[in-house]
Amino acid sequence: MFKKALILGIVSGLLAGIAGLIYAHLYYSINAADFSKVASSIRIIASSLAGGVLAAIGFTILNKWLKSNGEIVFNLLFSIISFASLLMPIAYKLPTSLETPELFPGMVIPMHFFPALAWFTLKPLFIRHQPVA
Amino acid sequence: MKKYFYPAIAALILAGSAFTFAATNWQIADGYSIGFSSNDAGGVFKTFKGAIVFDEQNPAASKFDVTIDAASINTGNGLQNKHAKSDEWFDVAKYPQIRYTSSKIVKAGSGYQVTGDLEIHGVKKPVTIPFTFQKTAKGATFTGSFTVNRSDFHVGKPGGDVAEQIKIDVSVPVTKQ
Repeated sequence: MFKKALILGIVSGLLAGIAGLIYAHLYYSINAADFSKVASSIRIIASSLAGGVLAAIGFTILNKWLKSNGEIVFNLLFSIISFASLLMPIAYKLPTSLETPELFPGMVIPMHFFPALAWFTLKPLFIRHQPVA
Repeated sequence: MKKYFYPAIAALILAGSAFTFAATNWQIADGYSIGFSSNDAGGVFKTFKGAIVFDEQNPAASKFDVTIDAASINTGNGLQNKHAKSDEWFDVAKYPQIRYTSSKIVKAGSGYQVTGDLEIHGVKKPVTIPFTFQKTAKGATFTGSFTVNRSDFHVGKPGGDVAEQIKIDVSVPVTKQ
């Protein structure tokens, strides 16, 4: 179970990271704002991967602990945590050498949903739902 | 005619020598830093300009008249910047400039001390700033630190999370005009 969840976590984390990089690139070109000093490509990929792996651990633990209700609780928690994590970029203090810090949350906030989005999208491919007999 | 010749020469020499004692005009160069810090808030003002006349040999003839664009505040956080520009704090729509005009500059120890009027948020108060003047290859750099009580200038509500005493750190590279 954990092996499948971990592979799902890594793949969805990587996809979320790639989506984050594309989004950041678009954001920089549209808004003429560059936050790559703070949110570098490596950081975007690494944090998305970390999100995916943490999701895999949480998914496995909750499924073992709560059995059939594990997935319901996990989905709910993953969404709530993704939403709550928005406070981080809003409160984040950038180096004062960077212009237009007010544009920073707009760049990072969507990225906080990418791991959950990738997980929920790819999950049926990796962990198939067991129909209740 | 002869009786006016020598007085005219004397007047010319005096007038000429007065120029040699005139303090140097300095132009503010890029790379300046106007920072502020307290227990909670901190940041920089990005836009700073003004006239600096300074002669280290003759500080009494020197003069600072500088302004900061209050809207150029950058705390590193967009929400804090918006809050700082609001009427509760700097009210940049009504008071777009922070101004310092010197009235007296004296030598103090290894550095100097400037006394003048600091105007923030429409409130003018006398403030003394100790500073140093270091010559560099391209010109010179003024460096100084001082503390202001934000409530003296009606900036923000008294008390709250942000300390009353705000430390200001100034570093201004200049080149000769």
